Amino acid sequence: MLRLLAERILFSVATLLGVGLCLFVLTRSMAGTPALTVLGMEATPQQIQQFNHDHGLDRPVIAQYWHWLRGVADGLNFGHSLLSGRPVGPMLRADMPITFEIVGIAFVFAVLVALPLGILSASFQGRIIDHVARIVAVVGVSVPGFWIGLMLIRFPAVQFGWFPPGGFTPWSGGVWPHLQSIVLPCFALGIYYVAILSRMTRSGLVEVGSQDYIRTARAMGLGRGLILVHALKNALVPVVSVGAMSFGYMFGWALIIEYLFNIPGMSNALLTAIDNRDYTVVQAIVFIFTLVFIVSNLLADMLNAYLNPKLAHGQ
Amino acid sequence: MSAAAGTRALRLPRLLSAGPSALIGGGIVLVVVLAAVFAPWIAPHDPLAVSIENSLLPPGGTFLLGTDQAGRDVLSRLIWGARISLMVSLLAVVIGMTCGIVTGLVAACYRQTWIEQVIMRCMEAVASIPLLIWAVALLGILGVEPIVVRGLSFGNEWKLLVLIGLLYTPTLTRIMHDVAVGEIAADYVKARRIQGVSTLSILLGDVLPNCMGPLVVQGTLLVAIGVVVEASVSFIGLGVQPPTPSWGSMLADSRNYIFSSEWWLPVFPGLAISLTVIGFNLLGDGLRDLLDPRHASRGIAG
Repeated sequence: MLRLLAERILFSVATLLGVGLCLFVLTRSMAGTPALTVLGMEATPQQIQQFNHDHGLDRPVIAQYWHWLRGVADGLNFGHSLLSGRPVGPMLRADMPITFEIVGIAFVFAVLVALPLGILSASFQGRIIDHVARIVAVVGVSVPGFWIGLMLIRFPAVQFGWFPPGGFTPWSGGVWPHLQSIVLPCFALGIYYVAILSRMTRSGLVEVGSQDYIRTARAMGLGRGLILVHALKNALVPVVSVGAMSFGYMFGWALIIEYLFNIPGMSNALLTAIDNRDYTVVQAIVFIFTLVFIVSNLLADMLNAYLNPKLAHGQ
Repeated sequence: MSAAAGTRALRLPRLLSAGPSALIGGGIVLVVVLAAVFAPWIAPHDPLAVSIENSLLPPGGTFLLGTDQAGRDVLSRLIWGARISLMVSLLAVVIGMTCGIVTGLVAACYRQTWIEQVIMRCMEAVASIPLLIWAVALLGILGVEPIVVRGLSFGNEWKLLVLIGLLYTPTLTRIMHDVAVGEIAADYVKARRIQGVSTLSILLGDVLPNCMGPLVVQGTLLVAIGVVVEASVSFIGLGVQPPTPSWGSMLADSRNYIFSSEWWLPVFPGLAISLTVIGFNLLGDGLRDLLDPRHASRGIAG
């Protein structure tokens, strides 16, 4: 178990470093000559040389990467913005909590709705409530969240005025206005995962329900609730690991949702940086997202191994 | 799975027995594919024809689903949008499938050697790349202008589909590898070897067809994801570029009319995306019971 843990963590770190290098090289080779972008087309060769020297762009890529990594390790310092010259880390410090809050709430919402829905669906297997839940799941998996968000803006928000049609009110603007401004984005982001996780809960429970130990429990006259507890323990194994992975995926979709609702989170920072061709900022943001993604995948693996020891030993 | 089960299962009677979800899904997919293929003939108007006097007409009359801000027919743009949407999502799957089959087969072939280790570890690393964010960032840095290769112009959608295809590869490699490992160990492969058939022709002629079931199922589900990814990236303006009609960019345009009464602008493209995705998801789920009874393909997440 410990060996597996160490191995997984080591591999994740190696992956992060490797993928980070790819990102570093790709953004650098694609960005063309940042000096021209920043200084303008009329820049003299001396100015360009000076610029490249100041930003360390004239050194080998590996050396640049190493320097950058040391900056990251040394207090989340993601280099300096090409455009403003300000350090990138503090620039993002205001945007990051917003994205994390929205993803976090959407995730909790998804789990809290998906589990009861899946349990209901499995306990009334084949009945109307099950059919309804399954149709909801297929539709929820298929209808893109950003369109649901657009519809929510168009109708409940604009037509009926129940919610603000976008924008973000921070906590300092009052608890109620803050919550009002994030309800729709969180719903639009979470609904896909409600569908995914409820489907998995249902199929997990149905599968476990046909196994011998549940039949034995039923034959012994155990109550429904007690059987459910026993069944859930095993049925939830895949749900937990997919849930952990979903957390990483949600940051990707949050990009689109934040754009749609004009929320000043990481997505806004990324798209602004892209517009400005400020690729050190782009690099930093994509690296942070990749880090979150890898950590949540690692967490999913760990949970899986913990809940399902057979799997861990089998490998 | 017996030899050629993959193709036999696709025959109509068995497809009909796959249950209502596969049939409904297949029907929807068929309609969308027909619309995409025959777009020039069935679209009632030119999707690009601007006519200011017809701008923002409500649905009904000559313009069945209304017109947009430039007076272009929404229905015609939807039909042409199916083309670009399917092109991106299908070609992405083709790219992912090709890469996945090659790497997966090679890895399965060199089982328990360093080659398998390297391939599978690399794939695991690629799988830890968050698709949407990398797509947005790389397209953003690369710019949305078309790439010209030997006089042929490749629009931005080509960059998008190559990127999606490459990021699909790990999933398909893993499935190919897992299924092929079981097949290669099977007795019929030994028999073919004794017959003196070369390894390559056993792999391509016998093993690969038997592995296609789970790959087809996963591919179908990945098409569904591709449609959403294309729409999302086009929605934020980094995918299909105007004036080419795309469902995602139609939704992006509709944002300007969110406060006025033109409800048809955001509603219809979204319905088109949703229906298409529902179609591919239902079809994939239905095919799974038919072609992939052991569930080597994974559910949809992403």
